[in-house]
Amino acid sequence: MRINYELNDRFDLTIFLSASLLVIIGLFAIYSSTQNTITQKGNFDKQLISWGISLFVFFFIFALPTKLLKLTAVPAYVLSILLLLVVLVIGRRIGGARSWIALGGFSFQPTEFAKLATILFLSHFLSRSETDLDNLKDIFIALAIGMTPIALIMLEPDLGSSFVFIGVILALLFWKGISLFGLAVVLSPGIVAVASLFGPIYFAVAIGLVIVILFYFKKDIILSGSILALNIASGFFVDNIYNILSPHQQRRIQTFIDPNADPLGSGYNAIQAKVAIGSGGFFGKGFLHGNQTQLQFIPEQWTDFIFCVIGEEFGFIGSIFVIILFLILFLRILRLASFAKNEFLSLVIIGILAVFFVHFLVNIGMAIGILPVIGIPLPFVSYGGSSLLINMALLGIILNIYRSRKEST
Amino acid sequence: MSARFSPFDRKKIFYGIILAVVSVYIFKLFQMQILAHAQFDAKSSDNSIKAIEQIALRGVFYDRNLQLLVENTPAYTVRITPADYDTTLNRKIETVLDLESGFISNMLYKNRVYSKFIPLRAKRGSDFSAIAWIEENKEHLPGVDYVIEMQRGYPDSVMGAHVFGYSKEISPQQLKKEEQYYQPGDLIGSIGLEKKYEKDLRGEKGYDYILVDSRRREVGKYKNGLNDVPSQKGKDLVLSLDGELQRIAEVELNGRAGAVVAIEPATGEVMVLASSPQFDLNQFSYVTPRDYLRQLLNDPLKPQYNRATMSAHPPGSTFKLLCAIAALDLGVITPSTTLFCGGSFNYGRSFKCHGSHGSLNVIQAIEKSCNVFFYQLIFKIGLDNLKSYATRFGFGKKLGIDINEEMRGLIPNSAYYEKIYGKNWPQGILVSLGIGQGEINVTPLQLANYCALIANNGKSFVPHLVKGYLDENKKFHSYKYKQVNVGIKQSVFDVVKEGMFLVVNGAGTATHVRINDIQIAGKTGTAQNPHGKDHALFVAFAPYGNPKIAVAVLVENVGFGATWAAPIAKKIIETYVRRSMPKKTEHVEKNKIEVQQGAEIFAD
Repeated sequence: MRINYELNDRFDLTIFLSASLLVIIGLFAIYSSTQNTITQKGNFDKQLISWGISLFVFFFIFALPTKLLKLTAVPAYVLSILLLLVVLVIGRRIGGARSWIALGGFSFQPTEFAKLATILFLSHFLSRSETDLDNLKDIFIALAIGMTPIALIMLEPDLGSSFVFIGVILALLFWKGISLFGLAVVLSPGIVAVASLFGPIYFAVAIGLVIVILFYFKKDIILSGSILALNIASGFFVDNIYNILSPHQQRRIQTFIDPNADPLGSGYNAIQAKVAIGSGGFFGKGFLHGNQTQLQFIPEQWTDFIFCVIGEEFGFIGSIFVIILFLILFLRILRLASFAKNEFLSLVIIGILAVFFVHFLVNIGMAIGILPVIGIPLPFVSYGGSSLLINMALLGIILNIYRSRKEST
Repeated sequence: MSARFSPFDRKKIFYGIILAVVSVYIFKLFQMQILAHAQFDAKSSDNSIKAIEQIALRGVFYDRNLQLLVENTPAYTVRITPADYDTTLNRKIETVLDLESGFISNMLYKNRVYSKFIPLRAKRGSDFSAIAWIEENKEHLPGVDYVIEMQRGYPDSVMGAHVFGYSKEISPQQLKKEEQYYQPGDLIGSIGLEKKYEKDLRGEKGYDYILVDSRRREVGKYKNGLNDVPSQKGKDLVLSLDGELQRIAEVELNGRAGAVVAIEPATGEVMVLASSPQFDLNQFSYVTPRDYLRQLLNDPLKPQYNRATMSAHPPGSTFKLLCAIAALDLGVITPSTTLFCGGSFNYGRSFKCHGSHGSLNVIQAIEKSCNVFFYQLIFKIGLDNLKSYATRFGFGKKLGIDINEEMRGLIPNSAYYEKIYGKNWPQGILVSLGIGQGEINVTPLQLANYCALIANNGKSFVPHLVKGYLDENKKFHSYKYKQVNVGIKQSVFDVVKEGMFLVVNGAGTATHVRINDIQIAGKTGTAQNPHGKDHALFVAFAPYGNPKIAVAVLVENVGFGATWAAPIAKKIIETYVRRSMPKKTEHVEKNKIEVQQGAEIFAD
């Protein structure tokens, strides 16, 4: 019992086992969805190898001195911005976005690294004693730190990862204790921008809402006026952003607004994904017996649409099991955030939680037709070596912070 | 101070967001998978896209004169798709298709690890009556269908079984290695050229995408065939074989164990590669009947064994040419050096000659095939020198012909004997090596290659069966082969070739194959066989002045080479050389050939 107690004191088995179960379920789904395809037959083996490497990295990071996190925050951020610039020039284009850098036989996505670097640097900035989020200047600095990688990622263009960064920024600002007014200032341009995609009436309603909020907080006229101007500008600006997006992403956004507009074109995936999951029923069609999966209805079903494989072959039971595992993971990580020995480490945990959560939110939301089709993998489950590696590394950081929570600084 | 949340409240809000999203998702899944399940299930079964694999047309074989040797003919294949199939039909279908009882359940069991949606081939080359029955009872036979597939056909009377080879259904082990291209049930080259050139012959598979309903009945083409990938036909190989000569060799061997190999000296192109007895490739073009396989396996002559490239026997007197070349090139004798033959040679015991030849030089020794001359020569050359010359002429190693079935044979050196007899191995062993007997084994292909090298003065190419291929526009592309040069003086070849000329045209051992207007040079041989009658050998090339063809013939268990092997070589040479000669002389020569048939000369 004592050994067990000591283990739990230094290592959170719940988190580790939940993540491991998700990887195992993912392996089953990868095998099922690729065994019939000519080009992807080796994916199961590759994922198994990636998991081995990821476990090694996980334990390595788990064992590192925790103070390294703060020390590397600034250099990591600078490096990640440089890499994001480099990838725009020499990056390899895979699936529409120029997001991969190839080094010899090895290739990786700087975006993945930038997630971690941005969390570290933003947490570092927010945890300084001088930082005051009641000061709009500090809010804008924080936004600048977060928006710089987003701007570069939008140029690739990679819409899914941009959402992850937005989630991270909001979560960190909120956890730091931004005021409601500050939150409104940060959130409103985004809401206005999304609304404007749906048409001028939605845009007008959103602007009306902003005006109501500004009246409610009763700030001075110059501040209120400039915030209103910012909101209106963002509504128009979104048209330009929309034009930066690649045609397939534009089509996906249109499809989300009206999925039945082009059922055999870009709406096809969204419809077939829902059919796959819905036809799974309560118990599922059984491993290797899903006809949507086996007849390869859904492209990329081993990465972005892997939840469809689980939904079809393992049914409601399997889908709920996966969602519950994620729920356990999220609640547990959130709990650990309060154990961290200082504010910086607590913020880092929340940033990582935001990364996992936004991936989960967008990926499953897309599979079940609640959100538009945006290419973003399901953490631990989807096929992909560099994605699995970074997720396990992030998990390693969380457990590292947990391990060292009682050590003096 | 603006309004804000306390740290405690912030955590609660995070909890709230996570629980809200998870609840929404669970609710949505409940709605989709349980409430609306039937509706989605109907949609899923309603239309599915299926990729239909289109096997590419296999490349065919042409001979050197573009005569078709191996082609494709259509045949019906009955298939079973396990996902839809009802196993209670097993007995009925086995009866109709004339399959052994239990065949289908065995097939399903063997393929259980693969997707149930891949159709399995129950029978290739089905009778039309079986197809008619399936067509009639279609409604009651879920998961059973048939397709027209191509199988191999052999239009000419050329057999060439060992050269062409055949394809077999891919084995699970091969499938593991080659999974990028093949599916269970695909054919893959198994022996001969079909195996060696599998990648050229198979072409590229195509894919048709169709929409199928829940019972996988075809509903229509997916996106009107926009995504279909057409299959690409395999390469049509142009062989160096000469169909007519190959047929003559096969007919002349007449089912006796033996082999004939003919090579064009200047190019290394193999024009004949016949091994006898043959087997019927038609029986291998789909599922081979068990009875036929059993019959082949039980035949004491082992028809599936490629004697032309795999049977290794002592070269007998044909090896004397190599000894002569080695001795002349080393300078241990000159063309005018004479040695004495008194009818036998004493070295520990007496080694016999088949006559008492008196004093003779190397040319006369070849002409008369004098054993005593060569018994003496071998001691002048030395064993390891002999091995080195033999290796240069391609003995004791695989030549690298473009089929996998090839043996190295054996050429001993002193290390070999030391291993068997120890340091002081008896030198008497050497005596018989001088006349190509004893622990020395060569294949008919090696003999033909050796004869071609002599004919072309030591320069040729690695022997090969495929010249190149024809592309879609019937344009010929040639394959490149490695050049061979044994690096021996021209004067040596002149002497040896003169001896070979006299074997046929002087007072030699094969004067019965002489033709007036075609100058043949050759050498007979008899390989001693401890298990029965000796094997007959003959190597020859022609025309003497400008060699166009080099031939090696082996006939097992018949006796003297001159009697049995030489006439076959003569017929092939004559046919080939005469075909390229002006027509008018033809009828004159025909009469003379008949006269000389049947002559028997007991000198070897």
